[in-house]
Amino acid sequence: MKKIDFHIHTIPSVRDAHFVFSMDTLTSYVLERKLDAIAITNHDLFDIAQFSQIAEILEVPVFPGIEINMQSGHLLVIDDINRLEEFQEKADKIRAIVKKVEDYVTFDKLIEIYGDLGEYLVIPHYQKKPAISGDELNWILPYAFAGEVDSPKKFVRMWNDSNQPTPVLFSDMRIKENLTKFSSRSTSIDCGELTVKKIKLCLKDKAKVLLSPKDGNKLFEALPNGQMISTGLNVVLGGRSTGKTVTLEKIAEQMYDPLHIEQFDLVQKEEELDKRLFEEAVTRDKSHVEENHLRPFKEVVDSVLSIDIAENEKDVSNYIATLMKSASETALRDTFSNTALFEETTFPVTSDDTLKALIRSVQQLIANADYKKIIEKYVDRSKLRELACELIEERWRQEDEISQKTEVNSLINEIKQELDLKSAVAPISSVDLYGVTLDQIRIDRFTEIVKLLKFEKDIHDEKIQNFRVVAKRSPFKGAQELHDKLARQASFSAAFSVYNDPYRYLQELKCISALPKTEIYKYFAKTDYKILNNDGIEVSGGERSEFRLVQKIKRATVHDILLIDEPESGFDNIFLKSNVNQIIKDLSKTLPVVIVTHNSTIGASIGADYFLHTSKEYDDGKAIFKIYSGYPADTYLTSIDGASIENYSSTINALEAGADAYKARNEFYENIKN
Amino acid sequence: MRILKIEDSNGHFSVNGEGFVSIDKLDKEGLLNLVKLALTDEIEMDDYDSEILKNEAHRIIYRSVHKKLQELAARKDEFFDKSEREFYEIYEHYKNS
Repeated sequence: MKKIDFHIHTIPSVRDAHFVFSMDTLTSYVLERKLDAIAITNHDLFDIAQFSQIAEILEVPVFPGIEINMQSGHLLVIDDINRLEEFQEKADKIRAIVKKVEDYVTFDKLIEIYGDLGEYLVIPHYQKKPAISGDELNWILPYAFAGEVDSPKKFVRMWNDSNQPTPVLFSDMRIKENLTKFSSRSTSIDCGELTVKKIKLCLKDKAKVLLSPKDGNKLFEALPNGQMISTGLNVVLGGRSTGKTVTLEKIAEQMYDPLHIEQFDLVQKEEELDKRLFEEAVTRDKSHVEENHLRPFKEVVDSVLSIDIAENEKDVSNYIATLMKSASETALRDTFSNTALFEETTFPVTSDDTLKALIRSVQQLIANADYKKIIEKYVDRSKLRELACELIEERWRQEDEISQKTEVNSLINEIKQELDLKSAVAPISSVDLYGVTLDQIRIDRFTEIVKLLKFEKDIHDEKIQNFRVVAKRSPFKGAQELHDKLARQASFSAAFSVYNDPYRYLQELKCISALPKTEIYKYFAKTDYKILNNDGIEVSGGERSEFRLVQKIKRATVHDILLIDEPESGFDNIFLKSNVNQIIKDLSKTLPVVIVTHNSTIGASIGADYFLHTSKEYDDGKAIFKIYSGYPADTYLTSIDGASIENYSSTINALEAGADAYKARNEFYENIKN
Repeated sequence: MRILKIEDSNGHFSVNGEGFVSIDKLDKEGLLNLVKLALTDEIEMDDYDSEILKNEAHRIIYRSVHKKLQELAARKDEFFDKSEREFYEIYEHYKNS
C-alpha cells in the first residue's frame, strides 16, 4: 500500500492568506507522515522552478498539479513529471483567466487548454467545499476516477455506496514556515508503480483505495503521528492527567467540522441562568411551531398592512365635499363641465390571478406522470388540452382588455385635466368606493381573527425522549413581554395601550422601526413553551442537562466526528445506560465517535470498536504521554513506537480501579444479595 | 370604418361607422369601444382642425382622442403579437398536439 497526499499548497494565491513556503516543513511533513508520494496543487497556478526544487530534494515521487477554480467548485488536475514545460504552459493559461477570487474557468475553456482530460488525473472536490456540482460535475465525472472528501466519515460513506465514485482524502495543507501541526488526512492506495496511468487504474477499483494500509476502512489516522482510531466507536481510557482531554482536542483540530462536547459542558452551573438558557434554546429550536401556527395569520396581516384607512377616509371626504359643491354650482355649469368625460371615472384595472392559477393546475393535470392513469380514467387528455388553450385565450383576452382599459384611463385623465382647467365648475374628486368598502371589510375580518387568536390554547404537543414540549398560545400581558420578544431596543408602550384595538395596534407596531414589517404578525399573541417530564411537571436541572445531552448528540450526524469528554461527569449511570449508550452506538455507525470515560457503564457496556489507553510515563525523569490502542479483543494494546501494555489489566485499572477492587466490589454485591 | 368626424363645427364619434354622436357625450365605455376598433379595424378619422372646431370642449376631447387612436392604430401589430405572451409556448404545444 502507498500512502499519498495529492492536495498540497506551496504558493499562496488570491484565495489564501499570505504564507511563506518552507522546504524544511515539507520535508518534515513527508517524513513524519510517512508519505509515499505527494502532488503539489496550488490554486490556479504552477511554478516549474519551485516544483523542480521540491522534486529534487524529496525522496518520494512528487507529481505536478494544479487546483483549478471552476464555476461551481474546485478541481485537481495532476500530471506525470515527464512533461513539465507543457504543464507550465497550460497552467499559465489558467492563471491568465483566474486573477481575482470571483474569476473561474468554464468546462469548455478547460477542454480548450488541456485537450483530452483523460490524459490527466482529474479529481473534483466532491464531498468537500466548494464542491463541483450540477452540469459541470456531469461533464467532469467521465474523466474523474475519484472524488475528494474532507473527512473519514464521508470517505467511508462514499466508499460503501456503489453509486458513488472512489473517495480520496487529502491534507489540503499550506506548507509554511514554522508549521508544527500537520494534517493527518491521507489516502492509502494499493498501487505498485506510481504513475498517473497506474494510479488511475487503481482508483477505478474501490477495494484498492483505503483509509488505512492495514485495517482498511475500519481505522483511520486521526493524528499526524500516525495514531489510528476507529471509523466507528472509540473509547479513550486512562488515569487522571494522562492526556485524554488533550487527545480529544488534537483529534478535533484535524477535522473540518467536529462536534466536541467538553467535560461539564452540559451540566447546570447556575440554576436561573441555566433555566433561562435552556428555555431559550428550546424556543429557538421550536420557532417553526409558532411560524407554522401563525402562517395563515401572516397573510391576513400582510394584506391589512397595505391598507391606508386614513387615506381612504380622506378620499371619501373629498369626494363628498366636491360632489356637494358641484351640486350647489349647477348654475355655473358650462360647455366643459357638461361633457360626459368631465365627471367620468376610470376603469378599475386588476389582474385575475385565479385564472392564472387555474391554467397552471390544468397544465399540471396534463403533465403529471405519477397519477396519469387516475386522471385519464375521468378526463380525456385532449379535452384537457382544449381547456388549457381556451383558458389561455381567456387570459390573453383579459390582458388585452387590461391594456386597452389602461390606455383609456390615461386618456380620460388627460382630457379631464384639460376640461378642469377650462371649466368654472370644480371637478368631483374621484374615489374607488368599491376598494374602500373592501378595505373596511378586510379590517373587520382582521379584528375578528385577532380576537380569536388571543384565546388561550395549546398549539403544539411534542414528545422528545422522555419529555413533552408543549407550546401554548395566549395574549401578551404587557409592553415588557413585547419588548422581551423583540430583544432589541424599542418601546412598545404606545402600541400596547391600544392592544385591544387590533387595527390601531397594527398601525402603532408599524411605527416601531426596530420591528421588521415581516415579523409584525408574531406580536398579536405570544407562544410559551414548557418542557414537562413524564409526570407532567416542569423538568429539573438534572433533567435539563440530560435533555440537552441527548439533543446535542442526536444532532451530531451532520458533523464529521463526535468527541465526548467524560459524559459521566454530570449524569447518572441509569440515564447513561438507558438513553445515551444506544444513541452513541447507533451514531457510530454513521460517523466516528470518540468518548473519554472512567465510567464502566460507558467504557465496558457501550460496545466499543476500538480502545485508546492514554498513559503518562517517565523517561529520565521527563514525562512522556503515550497512547496505546487496539481492538477490544486484542490481548495487548500497542503504541506508535511499538511498545505494548496488557489490554485486560489496563482496562480494569481504568474502569474499576484495578482487579482487586473489581473483585471486592463483586463480593460486596454478592453479600448484599445473599 | 369612419369613427371620428367633424361636422357643423362640432366633433362626432361613432362605434359602428354609422350612427354618429356628439363628442361631448363620449364616456369611458364609448372610449373603450373606439380603442378596440382602432386596434382591430381599419379606421378613418377626420383630422383635428382647431379652425373648424368651434367648441372649445370639443377641441380638447377631439384632439386627445384623435391622437391616441392614431397612435394605437399604428401599434396594432405589436399589440396583438402573442409570441411574447405568458403561456405562449405551452399554448402552441397544446394547440398543435
